[in-house]
Amino acid sequence: MSLMPFASSEPLSIGVELELQLLNCNDYDLVSSAPDMLRRIARKTHHGEIKPEMTRGMIEINTSIHHEYVSLVEELNSLRKTVSDAGRFLNIAVAGGGTHPFQHWSEQKIFDAPRFHYLSDLYGYLAKQFTIFGQHVHIGCPGPDEALHLLHMMSRYVPHFIALSASSPFVQGHDTGFASARLNSVFSFPLSGRAPFVLSWEDFERFFSKMTETGVVESMKDFYWDIRPKPEFGTIEVRVCDTPLTIEVAAAIACYIQSIARYIMIDQKDEPREDDYLVYTFNRFQACRFGLEGVFIDPRTHKRRTLREDIAEMLTRIADHAVELQAQGAMSQISKILDTGNGASWLRKTYSHDHNLSDMVQQQSDLWMNGQ
Amino acid sequence: MTLSSYLPIWPLSVSPALWLALALVIAVLVGEGLVRYLRLPRIVGYVGVGLLMGPAGLNLIPELPASEWRLLVDLALGILLFELGSKVNLRWLKANLWIAFTSLLESSATFFAVFALLLWFDVAHVTSAVVASICIATSPAIVVRTVTESRAQGQVTERLLLMTALNCIYAIICHKIAVAFMYDESGTRLIHTVLQPLYLIGGSAILGWLFGNAFNTIHLHLGRHEETFSFLLFGMIAIATIAASTLKLSPMLILLSAGLIVRYRRRRPHTFLPHFGSAGAVLVVLMFTASGLMANLSGIRDSLMMVLLLILVRTAAKLTPVLLLAKFSGISLKQGLALGIALAPMSSLTLLLTLDTAAAFPDFASGMGLILMSCIVILELVSPIMVQMALRGTGETLEGRS
Repeated sequence: MSLMPFASSEPLSIGVELELQLLNCNDYDLVSSAPDMLRRIARKTHHGEIKPEMTRGMIEINTSIHHEYVSLVEELNSLRKTVSDAGRFLNIAVAGGGTHPFQHWSEQKIFDAPRFHYLSDLYGYLAKQFTIFGQHVHIGCPGPDEALHLLHMMSRYVPHFIALSASSPFVQGHDTGFASARLNSVFSFPLSGRAPFVLSWEDFERFFSKMTETGVVESMKDFYWDIRPKPEFGTIEVRVCDTPLTIEVAAAIACYIQSIARYIMIDQKDEPREDDYLVYTFNRFQACRFGLEGVFIDPRTHKRRTLREDIAEMLTRIADHAVELQAQGAMSQISKILDTGNGASWLRKTYSHDHNLSDMVQQQSDLWMNGQ
Repeated sequence: MTLSSYLPIWPLSVSPALWLALALVIAVLVGEGLVRYLRLPRIVGYVGVGLLMGPAGLNLIPELPASEWRLLVDLALGILLFELGSKVNLRWLKANLWIAFTSLLESSATFFAVFALLLWFDVAHVTSAVVASICIATSPAIVVRTVTESRAQGQVTERLLLMTALNCIYAIICHKIAVAFMYDESGTRLIHTVLQPLYLIGGSAILGWLFGNAFNTIHLHLGRHEETFSFLLFGMIAIATIAASTLKLSPMLILLSAGLIVRYRRRRPHTFLPHFGSAGAVLVVLMFTASGLMANLSGIRDSLMMVLLLILVRTAAKLTPVLLLAKFSGISLKQGLALGIALAPMSSLTLLLTLDTAAAFPDFASGMGLILMSCIVILELVSPIMVQMALRGTGETLEGRS
């Protein structure tokens, strides 16, 4: 199978996908009720798309294409309302967050669809361990080569996105010490990590057909890269974020990515270099482990600072682009995260009150369903 | 000193209590065997062994009057009712009126279908009404026990628990009203037939409210320690039972509403051990075994047709409304079918209502009471399997399936 041609999309348009947790209202463990939720939701027309995911304790919401923060928040709000209403009708709570803190992966049930069964057969227990919840952000690109350029330039900021969205400190009943433990589950997939350093679409097509000839992959979907091109949409897809605890933060992070993309496309004249990736996994680990307190090494200057400092500096650098994109609201959300902490610190603070994970998840779902 | 002063005398005279203890051990072993080799619910083993060893079977254990067992059943059922209440989210009814509607329809359909059936069999009006109201209740014991055992979770499970709690409440209330009419027939003033149920409902609700809030407060400050809980709960059940008999209220209604209040007024999610710890679990096993020992099968011998029709009509009356309203209340037809079937169980709550009625009306004891006892025996053996199949069929159990 060859790669489909890169579709055209409006540059800097954005779309957001959020994977959400479905919980029972007794002890707030995951509940395998995705089919019930989808059946209920299908009765009425709604904005965007609501889809099943790998296991039945998950559900995914997709927005349509947006250009600015306000309309994105609006659509996410309406999606939140649709999902929350269906949840209340079925006595199911819905929450953000990158992991469920105490679910048992072995108790998860694969959603009944050919692709999920195929993945489950292929990956075995990894498929059930993939009951983790991420935010994916699509950025429209003027063309395929521009997409690859943007993808590699954007990789410097991947730790920003991880640290800002991090909301998965608890796994299987314990504090992992990570701000985002979710990504550790992604890294166990054979085709995870970064995209190969290829800068023209022609070369990328060559890479892709070589890979399909080996029989390792069938489609772009088989790559679990941190950022991957999505030719059928004409976008690049940033896939490193945890699903934040609120839709407002999800929208803000999407617009932060959008503003950085505009900065890269318009202001930054540099070309990506293979050596940019020398610090990539170090920085990414720091972001996963320590969140905003993590160390960030600039790939070009090799200067060390905390991610919080680097993000703060980036906010001033992209301020004008944010104004152009009408994303000021998003930028103040981001600075608020720098001041008050990300989802992981909210979860830890909530847990510290009486050390009850069920209680924490209840508050987490109240936060998601009722908003900030 | 003679030999006989320190050696046992042959033939040994064994206290019947030994057989009882043995029955319990065998029941537990058979229960485990059923799970391991046939994947059947343990309850079937507990009841089955009781039935086999009791007067209705091999007669190894001499018959004890039902009143001897009463304390045991009261305690175990109290635990299970409280447990059921604490698992049920009443707020759901506000968000999904269809469930409330399904529950009301299912219960009234059961009442009228059974009532009509008994009239057709020429049973007196009042007696038919008493039996019909008893038939409204789904067995909280079998439902809670099967759900706990299969670790089920999902729409069918949650609706089953909610609708069981609700139809138990309806059944207890309707039963009191119907019994009041029975008294009325034997010559009481009308005012009492109105006042008695009102007093019962109001009084039980107030006590339930007090217990529920007290339990929550104590739990909040003492935390989750198994023994604390067990003591607290047994104390509460004992007080509720004594208060109920002193004040002439229903202990069952008090404990069920106490559980509901605990869940309704909780500030933080908390889960309790199954049957609130091992002491509770032992009582529950004992109760099922005892109900096999107490079984009276004369109803099956004398009026098999009526017993079978009663079970059939009652089950159909519960299933049909659930199926009809499934789509509206947000579940699929398959889930509706499972839910309707899972509402069939009849067990200790029915037994207690039957015994209460029989104690006051000897005619009932020798007539419809025996029919009901036979229905209970059959359903105790069959309905746990039905519930388990329903929950398995909808993929809500956690028994090593993907």
